[in-house]
Amino acid sequence: MTVKRFVKPVSVNPLTVGPSLGGVLAVQGCYRAIALLHGAQGCAAFSKSLLTRHFRDTIAVQTSALQEMDVIFDADRNLEEALNLVIAKHRPDLIVVIGTELTDVSGTDYSAFIRKYTREQASRGCLIIPVILPDFNGSLELGYSAVVEGIVDAVIQGQGGRAPGKPAAGQINLLPGSCLTPGDVMELKEIISDFGFEVITIPDLSTSLSGHLLTGFSPLTRGGAPLDDLKQMLRSRYTIAIGASMERPARRLQNAACIPYQVFSGIHGLCATDELLAFLQQLSGVSVPLRYRWQRENLLDSMLDAHFHYAGSSAVAALEPDHVLSMAAWLKEMGVMIKGLVAPCETQLLKEAEQEVWIGDLDDAETLGKGADLWISNCHGRKGAARIRASFLAAGFPVSDELGSYVNVSVGYRGAMDLVNRVGNMLIRREEARHEDRLCQ
Amino acid sequence: MEATSKVPVHDTDCLNLEPKSKACPRPKPGEAAGGCAFDGAQITLLPIADAAHLVHGPAACIGNSWESRGSLSSGPRLSEYGFGTALGERDIIFGAEKKLKASIDYIAVRFAPPAIFVYATCVTALIGEDLDAVCGEASTRLGLPVIPVTSPGFLGSKNLGNRLAGEALMQYVIGRSEPDDAVRGTSVNLLGEYNIAGEMWEIERLMNRAGISVSSRITGDGRFREIGWAHRAKVNMVVCSRALLGLAKRMEHTYRIPYFEGSFYGAKETSYSLRQMAYLLNDRDTEFKVDRLIEREEARVAEALKPYRKLFKGKRAILYTGGVKSWSVISALNELGIRVVGVGTNKSTAEDVSRIVDRIGEDAEYIPEGGAKRILKAVKERKADLMIAGGRNMYVAMKERIPFIDINQERHTAYAGYDGLLRLAEQIRYTLQHPVWELAERPAPWEEAGKTHDR
Repeated sequence: MTVKRFVKPVSVNPLTVGPSLGGVLAVQGCYRAIALLHGAQGCAAFSKSLLTRHFRDTIAVQTSALQEMDVIFDADRNLEEALNLVIAKHRPDLIVVIGTELTDVSGTDYSAFIRKYTREQASRGCLIIPVILPDFNGSLELGYSAVVEGIVDAVIQGQGGRAPGKPAAGQINLLPGSCLTPGDVMELKEIISDFGFEVITIPDLSTSLSGHLLTGFSPLTRGGAPLDDLKQMLRSRYTIAIGASMERPARRLQNAACIPYQVFSGIHGLCATDELLAFLQQLSGVSVPLRYRWQRENLLDSMLDAHFHYAGSSAVAALEPDHVLSMAAWLKEMGVMIKGLVAPCETQLLKEAEQEVWIGDLDDAETLGKGADLWISNCHGRKGAARIRASFLAAGFPVSDELGSYVNVSVGYRGAMDLVNRVGNMLIRREEARHEDRLCQ
Repeated sequence: MEATSKVPVHDTDCLNLEPKSKACPRPKPGEAAGGCAFDGAQITLLPIADAAHLVHGPAACIGNSWESRGSLSSGPRLSEYGFGTALGERDIIFGAEKKLKASIDYIAVRFAPPAIFVYATCVTALIGEDLDAVCGEASTRLGLPVIPVTSPGFLGSKNLGNRLAGEALMQYVIGRSEPDDAVRGTSVNLLGEYNIAGEMWEIERLMNRAGISVSSRITGDGRFREIGWAHRAKVNMVVCSRALLGLAKRMEHTYRIPYFEGSFYGAKETSYSLRQMAYLLNDRDTEFKVDRLIEREEARVAEALKPYRKLFKGKRAILYTGGVKSWSVISALNELGIRVVGVGTNKSTAEDVSRIVDRIGEDAEYIPEGGAKRILKAVKERKADLMIAGGRNMYVAMKERIPFIDINQERHTAYAGYDGLLRLAEQIRYTLQHPVWELAERPAPWEEAGKTHDR
C-alpha cells in the first residue's frame, strides 16, 4: 500500500474535477450525441463552461434543471420534460442521462423511468443510457470511463451480445483514457492504422473536439464515433485500452463478444511507446514502419541532448490517477527526481503502484513540491507553482488559460520528443534565471 | 414604454425583494441555460478579496467552479484559494457538521482571514445541515465573522443567488464596522460592480477626479471591513446588476441612503451616472466639478470616436447578454454608430426591456428565449456583422465564423467609462478588420469555387 493522505479536514485548492464532468466529456466523443445532467442547472452550467473554456469549442450538454421541490416530489417529471424537448428539438442519436449527487441523495431511481420511457414513448431511434455519477467519489477519470462502459454495455445489449456480421480480423477497438487530448487520440489512431488496422475509437474526441468548422454550430456533438460504428466494435479482433481506467469497458467487450484486450497503463515516453509498437507489430505481423523507427531515433537523440538539463532536477505532479503514474514513468526516464505525486482519488492502479502517491489537492502538491524545479498539473496549479518558484507545465484538465492545449500531442515517439523539448526548454530558462540571480547579488 | 407588452419577460420576480413576491419562474428542463443560485452567490461574494470562501458540499461544486472569473484584486489574494469540505458518502449518511466545524477552524488558524463565508450546496441543504448554527458557534468561539450563505443551487437561477448573497451582506456584514477616517461628505458605494478586467479601478479614478470618493466596493476588489462600513456612505449606486437592487432598497430603508441605478458603459451613461451621484450627494461643489469633467471628457471622446464612427457606419450587431448590460451596452454601441438589430431579453427584467425599447425602438428583433440556435437565426436574418455576448456563446460564433466581442465576466478588456468606450471601439475595429474573416470565407483551393460554407 503506497497511497498516503495528509491529515486535513478541508480541501484547499482542489484537484478534483467532478466525475459527472468526466461523463459529459466522454459523451462528446460520440456523434450526434448529447449529455443530459440530471440535477440542478448549475451542475450542467459549470461542466459546460469549464469544458468550453478548455477545448475552446461548443459542448453538447443539457440539464433537467431540478429545483428543490422537484427533488423532493418528482424528479422524473423534469427528466421526462427534458427528454421530450431534447428529442423533439435536436433529434440526437444518443442521450446519456448522467445522474448527479442530487438524484443520488434523494434516492431517485431514474433508470427504471428511462426503461419505461424508452418502452412507452417513441424515443425515435434515440438510444438513451443512464449513468449515475454522484460527485462524492472519484474524479473526472472515473466518470469518463463509467460513461464509456455504459455506452459499450448499451451497444452490447442492443445487439443481444451478437456481432453484426463476421469477425473482422483487421479491425481494432481503441479505448483512449481521459488524460489523452484529441491530438493524442489522433496520433494513436494513426499509429495503429499504420500497422494495417481499421480503428474504431470510443470515445473519439479527435474528430469532435480537435477544432473544426465542418458542420457549423450544433447543439449536439459535432463529431466523434457514430452509433453504427460502435455496433461494429463487436466484430473487432482486439481491444486496446489506453490507461488502466479503461480496462472495465474493455473487459465488457471481452465478456460479451470474446474480444481479447490489452491495457497500456503507461502512455508517455520511450518505454511506453516501445511497448505499444512492439505489441502492434506482433499482433499485425507487420514490422514497425520506417517512420516510427526514424521517430524513435529522433526521440533518443533529443533525450541525449536534453539530459544535461534534466539531470539533477526535481518535479511534483498533480494529475488524475492514470495520468500521474504515466507522467511519473516518463519523469523517471528523464532522470528527474520525483518530490511528490498527487492524485484526487484512490484507484486500484494507485494502490498497486511502486511509487508513493498522495491523495490530496494542489495545496498538498505545494507542500510536497517545496524546492522542486518543475510542477505538472492543470491550470489551477499555476499560482501554487509560482509560490514555490517551480516551472509550470500545464497538463490534464482543465487548461483554460493556454491556447491549443487540447491538441498538444505527448504520446508516441513524436509526442514524447515534443514533451522532452518543451520541458527541457523550461529547465534551460530556469538555469538562465539562476545565473541572473547570482549576478544581481 | 407601452411597447414592452410585445416582449415576453422572464426571471423578473427573482429580483424582487418583497418576501410576498411569487416564486421565480421554473427553468425549463432540457432548455435551461445559465448557472444556479450557488453560482450567483459566488459571483457576488468571491470578489471580496481578503475573505476565505468555503464551499460546504461535494468536491465538484468547488472543483468545477473555482478560478473562473475575471474579478481582479489590488492586494489580498485569499479569495483565489478554493476551499471545500469535499463531502463523501459517509458524510452524507452521518452528517458533516463536525467536518464543517473542523474546516472552519483549520482555515481560521492557518490563513487568519478577516472573515469566512460558508456556502451551502444542494446536498447539504437536502440532508439538513444547520449552517447557521455551525457558523454562529464558530463565530463566537473564534471571534471571527463566519457567515452562512444559504443559496444552494437548486433554489433557482444565478440572479436569485446574487440576491441571496446581498441579503447575507445585509444581515451579517453591513453596519458591523466603522471607517478609520472621518466619512467624507461625498462618499458613494458601488453595488454590483465586480472589477472585471479592472473596470472598478477605472470608475474609481473617474469619480475621484470629480471629487467623489468610493466608500465601499460591493464587491469588486472589495475588502471585508470596508463593506462593513457601507452604511456610512451618502449614496448607493447600483451598477450593472439589478440583482443587488434589493440590497440598495434595504439600505435605503434601514440607513436612509438614497440609491440610483446606472451604468458606466458608454459616454452618455457614464455622464448620467456621475451627474446622478452629484445630484444625490447634494453638493454644489461636486456638481460643478462633475459638469466640468463631463464636458471635457465628452468632447475628448467625441473627437476620438470620429474615425471609428466613419468606419462603423452601417454596421449591425446582435447583442445577447443579461440585465443592465442589455440596455447600457446598446447606448455605448449607439455612440459608436453601430446599429443593434437584435437583442436577447431572456435575462432582462421588464424595466430593462423598456429601457432597451427606449434606445433602439421596436425595429430590432427581440429574442425572448435562450439557446444558441435562436441567436444564430437572428444573426442570419438581420444580416448582422457582429455578435456581442458572453463567453458561453463565443465558440458558437466562431464555429459560424461570426465576428464576436465578449462582454461578460471572463473578458480581459475593461469597457467602463470614457476610456472604456474608446477601448470598445478599438476592440470592435480590430475584430471586424481581422484578416482571418476573409481567409475563413475562402474555400480551400481544391474545393469547388463558390461553394463556401452555408451560413
